Amino acid sequence: MSPEIKKTRNTQKSSTSQLTLDKAFMKYRQCDSPAVWWAVFGAVCLLTAATRFYNVGQPEHVVWDETHFGKFGSWYINRTFFFDVHPPLGKMLIGAFGYLTGYDGTFPFVKPGDSYEGVSYIGMRVCCTAMGACLVPFAFIIVWEMTLSLPAATFASSLILFDIGLLTLTQYILLDPILLFFIMGSVVGMVKFHAQRERAFSGSWWGWLAFTGFMLSGSVSTKFVGLFVVVFVGLHTIATLWDLYGDLRNPLSLVAKHFLSRALGLILLPIILYCAYFYIHLTILCKSGNGDGFYSSAFQSQLEGNSLYNASMPLELAYGAEITLKNARTGGGYLHSHIHLYPEGVGARQQQITTYSHKDFNNKWLVKKWNEEPADWEDEDEPIELVKNGDLVRLEHVPTGRNLHSHREAAPVTKRHHQVTGYGENGEGDVNDVWRVEVEGGAEGVPVKTVVHRLRLVHYLVGCALMSHNKQLPKWGYEQMEVTCNPNVHDPNNLWNVEDNQFPRLPNSSFEIYAPNFIEKFIESHTVMFQGNSGLKPKEGEITSQPWQWPINFKGQHFSGGSSKIYLLGNPVVFWSNLAALLLFLFLRLHFAYLCKRGSLCSPADVGMEARRDRTLGACGWLALAWALHYLPFYAMGRILYFHHYFPALLFSSMLTGVILDYLFESLPGLVPRYLATTVYPTLTGLFYSTLAYSFYLFSPLAYGMHNLEPDWENHTIHKMRWLDTWEF
Amino acid sequence: MDVGVRNRKNKASPKSGKKTKAAEGGQTHPADTDALKRSIEKLQHLNENINRDSGDGESAPDTPPPETAPDSSPPSTPTTSPDDFPDKKVQSSPKATRSSQQKKARNSAKASQDTQPPLKLSLHVDGMSVTLFVVSFLTRIWRLDSPRGIVFDELHYGKYAGLYMQNTFFFDSQPPLGKQLIAFAAYLAGFDGGFKFERIGTPYDAMVPVAAMRMVPAFFGSLLMPTVYNLMVELGLSHYTGALAAFLMIFDNALLAQSRYILMEGILLFFGLFGLLCILKFRRFYSRPYSLPWFGCLILGAASLTACVCVRYFGIFTMLLGIGILVRDFWEMVGDRMLSERQLLGHLVTRAVIFTTIPVALYLSCFYVHLTLLYKAGPNDNIMTSAFQASLEGGLASIISNQPVKVVHGSQITLRHTHGRTCWLHSHDAVYPVKYADNRGSSHQQQVTCYSYKDVNNWWIVKKPEKEEMVVTEPHEPIRHGDVIQLVHGLSSRALNAHDVAAPMSPHNQEVAAYIDYNVSMPAQTFWYVDLLNADATEGNWHAVESQIRLIHVNSSQALKFSGRQLPDWGFRQHEIVTDKIIDQEDTIWNVEEHRYGKTEDKKEREKDLLRSEMIPLERRNLTYWSKLYELQYKMLFNNQENVAGHMYASEPLDWLFLKRGVAYWISANSNAQVHFLGNIVVWLSGTVALLGYVALFVVYLLRRQRSCYDLPESAWNKFCTVGEILGIGYAVHYFPYFLVDRTLFLHHYMPAYVFKICLLAAMVEHGHYLLSEYLRAPRLARAYLTGVGLWAASILYVFWFFSPVTYGTRDLTANEVMSLAWRDTWDLIIHKQ
Repeated sequence: MSPEIKKTRNTQKSSTSQLTLDKAFMKYRQCDSPAVWWAVFGAVCLLTAATRFYNVGQPEHVVWDETHFGKFGSWYINRTFFFDVHPPLGKMLIGAFGYLTGYDGTFPFVKPGDSYEGVSYIGMRVCCTAMGACLVPFAFIIVWEMTLSLPAATFASSLILFDIGLLTLTQYILLDPILLFFIMGSVVGMVKFHAQRERAFSGSWWGWLAFTGFMLSGSVSTKFVGLFVVVFVGLHTIATLWDLYGDLRNPLSLVAKHFLSRALGLILLPIILYCAYFYIHLTILCKSGNGDGFYSSAFQSQLEGNSLYNASMPLELAYGAEITLKNARTGGGYLHSHIHLYPEGVGARQQQITTYSHKDFNNKWLVKKWNEEPADWEDEDEPIELVKNGDLVRLEHVPTGRNLHSHREAAPVTKRHHQVTGYGENGEGDVNDVWRVEVEGGAEGVPVKTVVHRLRLVHYLVGCALMSHNKQLPKWGYEQMEVTCNPNVHDPNNLWNVEDNQFPRLPNSSFEIYAPNFIEKFIESHTVMFQGNSGLKPKEGEITSQPWQWPINFKGQHFSGGSSKIYLLGNPVVFWSNLAALLLFLFLRLHFAYLCKRGSLCSPADVGMEARRDRTLGACGWLALAWALHYLPFYAMGRILYFHHYFPALLFSSMLTGVILDYLFESLPGLVPRYLATTVYPTLTGLFYSTLAYSFYLFSPLAYGMHNLEPDWENHTIHKMRWLDTWEF
Repeated sequence: MDVGVRNRKNKASPKSGKKTKAAEGGQTHPADTDALKRSIEKLQHLNENINRDSGDGESAPDTPPPETAPDSSPPSTPTTSPDDFPDKKVQSSPKATRSSQQKKARNSAKASQDTQPPLKLSLHVDGMSVTLFVVSFLTRIWRLDSPRGIVFDELHYGKYAGLYMQNTFFFDSQPPLGKQLIAFAAYLAGFDGGFKFERIGTPYDAMVPVAAMRMVPAFFGSLLMPTVYNLMVELGLSHYTGALAAFLMIFDNALLAQSRYILMEGILLFFGLFGLLCILKFRRFYSRPYSLPWFGCLILGAASLTACVCVRYFGIFTMLLGIGILVRDFWEMVGDRMLSERQLLGHLVTRAVIFTTIPVALYLSCFYVHLTLLYKAGPNDNIMTSAFQASLEGGLASIISNQPVKVVHGSQITLRHTHGRTCWLHSHDAVYPVKYADNRGSSHQQQVTCYSYKDVNNWWIVKKPEKEEMVVTEPHEPIRHGDVIQLVHGLSSRALNAHDVAAPMSPHNQEVAAYIDYNVSMPAQTFWYVDLLNADATEGNWHAVESQIRLIHVNSSQALKFSGRQLPDWGFRQHEIVTDKIIDQEDTIWNVEEHRYGKTEDKKEREKDLLRSEMIPLERRNLTYWSKLYELQYKMLFNNQENVAGHMYASEPLDWLFLKRGVAYWISANSNAQVHFLGNIVVWLSGTVALLGYVALFVVYLLRRQRSCYDLPESAWNKFCTVGEILGIGYAVHYFPYFLVDRTLFLHHYMPAYVFKICLLAAMVEHGHYLLSEYLRAPRLARAYLTGVGLWAASILYVFWFFSPVTYGTRDLTANEVMSLAWRDTWDLIIHKQ
């Protein structure tokens, strides 16, 4: 017998006679009073709290990705700018938890396994765990609202409660508990909102709508995989609206009202909140940190401590100015040259041109007209001429006096491109030194502006554009990045911007006026994030987890080594019964669809049973959809995948199992001989809960830590639990 | 075709089908006839020889009433039971007995309808199809052998054809059918494969039968037109619409280019669409299951769709679409109460059996031909395993042919990394640097790497730990599965060692080194278990080439692994070798490639021996078809091809919608004559508009229907939906997958989706006319509309003609002419600088 049922029984009747037990059981199955509901719900919550907060402070060292998220938390507390591929809310919450519980942001979180001595990390852990603990009651509420069956809700929530993997994943300072909290919260909001459909536009209706919107914004702002739940809620909303719209009793104005209110609550509100989180993020992080290099010059000029901060220089580019050119792609370096030549066999033996990420005197270039030398800076009589879009220019490398040059020779690494060299002496070169300046999206004749404009330098004769990318040159090029002339002029890597601009005869102006506003910063953060995300590709020879391995619990993930080993692995009982339930659902769905199509689906004798079947299949359909939405897209992702990406899908899968189990247990008594019928349900339920609880007990060392220093470690039962060879504990 | 066929539920009388057809052709579209006929006449100007009588698209008047006439009756009318054949009768079903009386009557009625003997062939020529084919064929073969130079991917396909001629093995990650067809044509034309396909633009010499090879895509690309025409008709659209779709395809420059040069699209598209056509035709024989045409359509459909997959794996989407249509039709059939469950099961099983056996058989046989023909070693061998290479004549086989099989104590071997990157376990006279760039320390012992070239430093000697001398002793001491060995580097005589020191590039793994005894507290850990993966095949003995092994380090239980990372300059940019505790992975698999028995104990002698290690070629080893196929498949599907990122003419799926970029296919060395791959922009943009129009209209209709406003009559609505179901979904499944593809894409990848888009465009033209004439009942507007369509068709012809110089590449162009073709500034046509 499961603990819940025992508890229910205990709260209901303390007598142990068979009759009262049966009665209690019937009460539980039918759930005819709120008291029963609350009693069961309370029991579930208590058990959740007990399992989640047991040993929450263990192990007392950095576990797995705590090294990242703890660090991010510290940076929020220190207000240091950083770059990460995920949106900010989750990390901000971690920062806030730390701040509120007295963490000062000084612990460096260098690598997993670093001991937390004297650091108040407990607060962050407890808060994350608390968010993770909410999953169980959330599941209870969702399944209850979808099926109105107390046993189904208990089944579903206990499957989540007794899963080792979820327990492990939600116990540490990670984004996952936060993400899962918001995902489940969104679905809770969705079902609760749906439950209010008879009381449209009432206070509680609006309340749950706003709640859903809030939770949706939370899940997207924690990780982009939160988008899947948005799609799910969106589809559900469309389905309800479609029914409303199809009901001819509803006037169109009412339908429009429904539509608009949902657009407000589920689209507009989340967008506003999402932007607000970013606003907070960009406002808090105002000091220069290690993420600067990913961002454009204009963005960097906003960070305290960055060399561009409070810089002032001429706004417009004049002939005769000394400039540095930065490649405008994410993480682009400065156009650079040095006295070394390309080695023998690599194109023409002329001076190397590279890009270099650090600021250096060798990054300076002098802008000249294509056919004449510029006047001296001191010469006040000469008119000042500005460089305009479409002008032909030469660029002279200031320290060596060579011109930027290209010709039809293969580039050193990217053979299809042309080589770029430094050529000539003291600015005297040849006609291959002429480049046309094109301002991206600018009209003909617009003066070129520092920092703000993105330029393309097109070689006049060959017609290729100056390009740089991440490919490094070999040792002879000091492993700086390759610069080539790209025949494909429209390549996004061809864009550059002027960063430093020295020309004393033009007035300096501060870049404050060109400081990117919030919208620009917001957009730039996103492009950088997406590029970062798509850059997370597995390298050759690296093993990544494959999506097919996840539902079968093929392989886990090491969380922590050392004296207390923690291994993220799902409870196999939960995972495998989830798989069986999915297959069973598929079978039932097809079976009933077939019967319906054949016209032989008729059971007018038992209307209640039919309603129950429809409700079950409906609920399962939505849950299966949610599962698929959170699982299948991973097959299409090129990035590195990990086992823990499956856990959002697991939640839905577990809930589906709960619903199917309930349906199965309710249907079975009708299929067995009558004298067994009354005992089938309680027996099965008891069997289910005892198996689940026992498996939890068996595997719990994986989550709570396996102490290999214990004397009987070699004989520990956990060694016998390696049911699959691929589990590595 | 008639409305009746499309709408089984609209129970028209069995014979009304023919009537409706006549009515539709003759009366409902009188205006339609005019304008469209005009455009068709235009086609016919190109080919006056074709009989005008047969050009109207209806079945030719002089042919006898075709067999299909009774089939066109609505299949599920209550009087037509699917089990017409007495031998298929289900005895147990009470329904069957009840209706047997009825059935007899029906059978006799049917017998009177078609008194033909069961195997009679009646030839019936569809004039429109023939016309379309001929016109299309003429456009494609016009001056087929010019330009006489390698045009774009002819570089690959021509080369492959040449390699087929020479029976030389090559590796390509796409299946071989298309290449085989071209090679077959080349073979018939007497090509000997002697031409080297080196660069795009290289002129062909006289030996290369360019025209014959280009004939294959041209032929299939022209067959595409009648296929499309019939497909449209089969979808319930009018014959004129079908002809319009084919017309749009004939005069699209992109499709022309793809089916004129030695490229795969023409073949791919034909097989795909023909398969779909068969599956749609299959619907017609609903009332005559298990009849000859019923089986014919199903089998032909399966075969054609498989052929499509065998040309290019992307064809799997076409196949899925075909299967989807079948499944959907079957589901409709489930709703047919006249069928018993047993019959349903029979139908399901038949379809499933046909759609598994035929694809599998065809696919395997096409690879069988491939592997049988290519038995000589060639340039791509390295990618395959040693065992595979050894089965090819003249390659590795020549080196290893007379080497001993059993690896024994004293064997000298080279160890090859079996899967993934080709490289051999290597060591050389250099040590790991004391400190790495990130300040970690190393063991400072001799480097062990994985080297991608054959080298004398790749030789290792197998040694049993308990024996000292490193020669093969009599009797031989074979190494077996599970034995512990040491591996001694041949030239430096240092043993392969691993220890608990972080590896240079993968700090989570252990470093592997050749052990130098510095006499510090770092003992040698040079023992390795031999773990044979295929121990059963060799009875537990370690065989050269054949055995795949893992070397498990005894002290740490970790496996020797190729980590995939490159060492920096101190490691000569060779690849890193580590040990990894995750044993079960591909990169820990090795095999012995070259092998001989060491004879001399003397170190100097041994080194000399190693240094002169040339062998004399002999014959190939045999590897079964299945193991070759398995390996080839594995490599084809999982081999990450090098990605040519940022190709000058690469484009993104979104660019394709608006024809943003073309591809330069060929340019003459001394003039501006060139082939530039571009579509007919008018067709292209109209297609995109039609697509959006369809989606918009569909949404509007759906919204109105949900509020119970039925704008279209049920039959028109069903037709509209069928079009979307097959053409719209067809477009989607051929287009959207590209958003998930992580490799360089070109415009020609869009072609399969584009064909569906053109069909949808033609269907939308018809729907527009329908709306004007039937829904708005404005005959004048309808006539104006048809005139508009005529003008539009004329503009398509004009644009086709205008761009034909860069499609055919036969004419020299002046710089100005080239400039005048660059209608969009993103079209990078090439102009030679003077």
